[in-house]
Amino acid sequence: MLPTELMQILNRDFPCRELQIRHLSALLSPTLPSPSTVVLHGLEATGKTSLIKQYLHLSKFPHAIVSSRECVTGRHLLERTLAACVASVAALPESETDASAYSRCENLSALAAQLQRLLEGHGKFFLVLDGIDRQRDAPITLFPALARFGEIISNLTTVFLVSIPSPRLLHRPGVPHIHFPAYARSQAIHILSLNPPPIFLNLNEEYTAEEHEEDRKWLWPRFLVATWDSLAKGAARDLVRFREVARMLWEEFVAPIRKGEYGTRDFSRLMVRMRGLFQKEDVLVDGIVPQEKDAQQIIKRPKKVTLDLPYFSKYILCAAYLASYNPTRQDQIFFMKSMEKKRRRRGGGGTPGRAPKNRKIPRNLLHPSAFSLDRLLAILHAVVPHAVPQHADIYTQISTLASLRLLSKAGPAGADMMDSNTKWRVGVGWDVVNSLARSIGLEMTDYLAE
Amino acid sequence: MEYEKCYVLEIPNERPKKKRKIDQKSSLSSWEQRKQLYSELWRRQEQRINDVLDKSNRETLDNILDFIDQTRSEGTSPTIPTGIISGGPDLSSRRRLFEQLAASIQKTKDCNAFVALSSRDALNLKGLLRTLIQRATSRSEALDDNEDEFVPHRKGPRLLNYDLRTLQEWAAEHRVAKVVVAFEDSEAFDSALLAEAIDVLSTFPVKFVLLFGVATSVEHFQDRLPRATIRKLEGRQFDAVKANDMLERVFEVTIDDPDQRLWLGPGLCRMMIDRQNDHFQSVQAFVDAVQYAYMSHFYANPLSLFLGEGPTDKTIPKDHLEGVRSLASFRKYAEDTLEEGKTDAVRSWLDSDQQLLQSIQHALQSGTDKMRGIIGALKLVRHLRAVFQQQPDITFSSLYIKATAGSLNQSPIIRELLLLVKKVASNKLPAILGYLSSANQVQIAKVADQMLKRLDELIAGNEHAAEPLRSEHDLRHETLRTTVVAQKVELSKQKSSLTKQESEYSEIVRDLHRILSEYFDAMLSDPKAVFTHEIFMYDIKSPHRDSSMPRPRLVIERALSTPHDYLNCRCCQVGRVHEDESVLMPSNPPTSILYQLYLESGSLINVSDLYSAFNAIIGKGDNGDDEKRVMVLFQRALAELKYMGFMKTSRKKMDHVTKLAWKGL
Repeated sequence: MLPTELMQILNRDFPCRELQIRHLSALLSPTLPSPSTVVLHGLEATGKTSLIKQYLHLSKFPHAIVSSRECVTGRHLLERTLAACVASVAALPESETDASAYSRCENLSALAAQLQRLLEGHGKFFLVLDGIDRQRDAPITLFPALARFGEIISNLTTVFLVSIPSPRLLHRPGVPHIHFPAYARSQAIHILSLNPPPIFLNLNEEYTAEEHEEDRKWLWPRFLVATWDSLAKGAARDLVRFREVARMLWEEFVAPIRKGEYGTRDFSRLMVRMRGLFQKEDVLVDGIVPQEKDAQQIIKRPKKVTLDLPYFSKYILCAAYLASYNPTRQDQIFFMKSMEKKRRRRGGGGTPGRAPKNRKIPRNLLHPSAFSLDRLLAILHAVVPHAVPQHADIYTQISTLASLRLLSKAGPAGADMMDSNTKWRVGVGWDVVNSLARSIGLEMTDYLAE
Repeated sequence: MEYEKCYVLEIPNERPKKKRKIDQKSSLSSWEQRKQLYSELWRRQEQRINDVLDKSNRETLDNILDFIDQTRSEGTSPTIPTGIISGGPDLSSRRRLFEQLAASIQKTKDCNAFVALSSRDALNLKGLLRTLIQRATSRSEALDDNEDEFVPHRKGPRLLNYDLRTLQEWAAEHRVAKVVVAFEDSEAFDSALLAEAIDVLSTFPVKFVLLFGVATSVEHFQDRLPRATIRKLEGRQFDAVKANDMLERVFEVTIDDPDQRLWLGPGLCRMMIDRQNDHFQSVQAFVDAVQYAYMSHFYANPLSLFLGEGPTDKTIPKDHLEGVRSLASFRKYAEDTLEEGKTDAVRSWLDSDQQLLQSIQHALQSGTDKMRGIIGALKLVRHLRAVFQQQPDITFSSLYIKATAGSLNQSPIIRELLLLVKKVASNKLPAILGYLSSANQVQIAKVADQMLKRLDELIAGNEHAAEPLRSEHDLRHETLRTTVVAQKVELSKQKSSLTKQESEYSEIVRDLHRILSEYFDAMLSDPKAVFTHEIFMYDIKSPHRDSSMPRPRLVIERALSTPHDYLNCRCCQVGRVHEDESVLMPSNPPTSILYQLYLESGSLINVSDLYSAFNAIIGKGDNGDDEKRVMVLFQRALAELKYMGFMKTSRKKMDHVTKLAWKGL
């Protein structure tokens, strides 16, 4: 076990994680023998990485931490791992390791051999592999092999940080698992309330820093409770997201206090005044370009989606939508000139009141179905009110739309675009297509089944 | 043959003979001069176009540079600063923007690195990172796909060449503050790949600034990325100049320059502009088309020689002058002169080259003046429309097309404009007069100056009034009077009486109206009525259509369905046997016969039926040898159709083929 002071520091830095810290200090203890493999698992933002980092740092074990997120391939991970271990061992006071002797690591067995050579004659060594279950391009043997490294190298302990362990992940029984459960409501609020953000940005003489501190500590937890119950409970349950949402709302929430309209302890009145803040869900919507804040405008009008495309590209896209969402056998009804009458009748027909036997999902909610190029062109000819020129510009536009991924190829990746075997799919939804069709004066519902 | 290691191929000196449609002697005599003339004129034109393009991008560029500059002060934030540059689907203009950006980033004094990535560079994450590192550290080695290549010169464990630590070390070594990574065509990247790349970039301590060129819209772009990725990005949106605006600016520069000598004609312009709106929206394609027009004018039209500096009888070969004499516009010009009774002048043009040359020079000068006059008038029209805030916006290009076709003066655009001028109030008039007095036309400028003075005096006398002065044609001066005559209500309009100032003001407006209508009448006549318009105006559409708008499918279908059009053989001549065009003749090529049968059948075709139909047309009875011959022809025709992608073997039914292509699409 670790000394008590260290345990206290850890418990202070990582509240609500006493059990996990005790497990860790038993499994990775300086005195007791450690298991060759340990798995730490839990969802995002549950403190796995930072806790193990802090633990190893405080306990001054020789260790190496490799983050899988930074590694592009399985090979990259191995190279990184070896480099990190070599650097860590070389930094030990009494080590005489020559870093240049460990230059290459092509595969798992090379890693095993190199590590064996490296760690020979040293004490306990911990290798932490962070997020290893999300490793890109990982060979299938990666997990089981890494889990058995401890059997070959007696002083090595491998710690895996994974989000969800599958039962047969390591192909090895008896590996200790430490679970990091997601923080519950009271825990999350407790953790976040430890460092409250400021209410006032600059203080005057009458209002001292201590008073401010006190008010902050009073108001912030109440605000957190309100935020959790209204928004974060459903949509931002992990600690990081919860903190982000709370921070984003906070500025707006305390604005009336800053203006002097409310006192710092008028929480319930302020709550009533700012209830709109917790009702709209703008903060939960992520966007690269931050939305402009507009206090008055509570109900936002949906933005009009328009694409700046050439005239025929718009028609091609509409025709592609029709081809994807209309069944092929009804093409004659919708697109043949002689069927004009039938189409008219469609609107009023049907017997009301009787529900169909088996309910079908509306077609526009399903995945777009594939169509051939000729069908697209035929629909294009039927939809465009005037003659469509037959030159290659139409094909150029199809390939441009494909490169913008507004149309996508359904067949194999390398297939020739203009091959008549190649199937296509439309890549945009109803809203976009409908507004596009409006802009060129095409009524999509005239042609769309259902 | 096989014991020689290599062979030296000696190319014979004389060039292979090409088919030239034009007469060798006359066209080649001035060929070098014309080529020179072309390269000079086009160089200037291209320079102007590039200037306009660069200038148009300037504002967006400055915004982006500011944004990149500002990102440093923010310190360490968990998000990557991101700029989204939205513009039309035109990749070439975006690429130009990024090139300019790269140049200006290198010019600034802070150490920033700029890397532009396009979707072709990045098929997978490894390739993307490798390209990124190589371009940033600008190592000159060519990209190669060797996975195990290591970065040399480094102590300790070596790094893989797609390891971003290389970049990190390089940045630390060269004190690079920021690495700007631009994704030229963000939509074309696989969205999973993009998300992974952003994830990897966000883990490294190097300060990255990402720029995404987006052709559709920011929302559409965001929809394709996972939310976790979006959370890592934060930034601004920049609007690049829209393709249509850019096109207008470029268009204006191709027709309006003090040094302009060649103008594009209305038919060609309309074709080029329509093609832009209907199909492309690419400024580069437009510029290429303009260049092609210059090339075909100077390369193919010997008379373009007259556009050079001061053509004299020494520089102009004789046959060129003969060519001028056979121009349609010369004939018309001569006839008109004859009608005026100046037979001597016409005689001298026909007899004396010197005289003809003089009159050509004169005509070219007047043609140039004419075109400048038209453009001046168009600018006036544009200005007036802006003053009256007329809707809808009419682009300068469409005005130009109408004007050069000679149809603008009678069009409702000018008529409405003149009506509005009649009704103009005194608060808008100075803007019009001010524009006129600064115009190039000396006479009009003088008159406008005088009118401006008169107006100033009038307004000075009218200072106390809140309302501006209105002319007599203004609606406010009309009142409706109702009279009841024999139980019917009659409405009659009546002018209310004008004050003295108002009648004086009306005088000014009437003058202005008269001057403007005279000016438009003079300027906006058809330039094709001018002698030598074939020289200073290029208006031939067919080279453009032939060279840049191919119709592959139509051509193949036509060749298969009416082979006579191409073969021009006697045996298949239409009307020889039957009147009907689509009749099948055994003398047609077998593939085309099979194609006709193919067109007549449904989407699933029984090959055996197809064969019997084929045999009925081409076969000569029941003899065994003939059957063999027909079978061979049939097999080959079938294979050819299959090769061209018209059919494939069906999976649903044995011995059937599926129809893949329909005619006329």
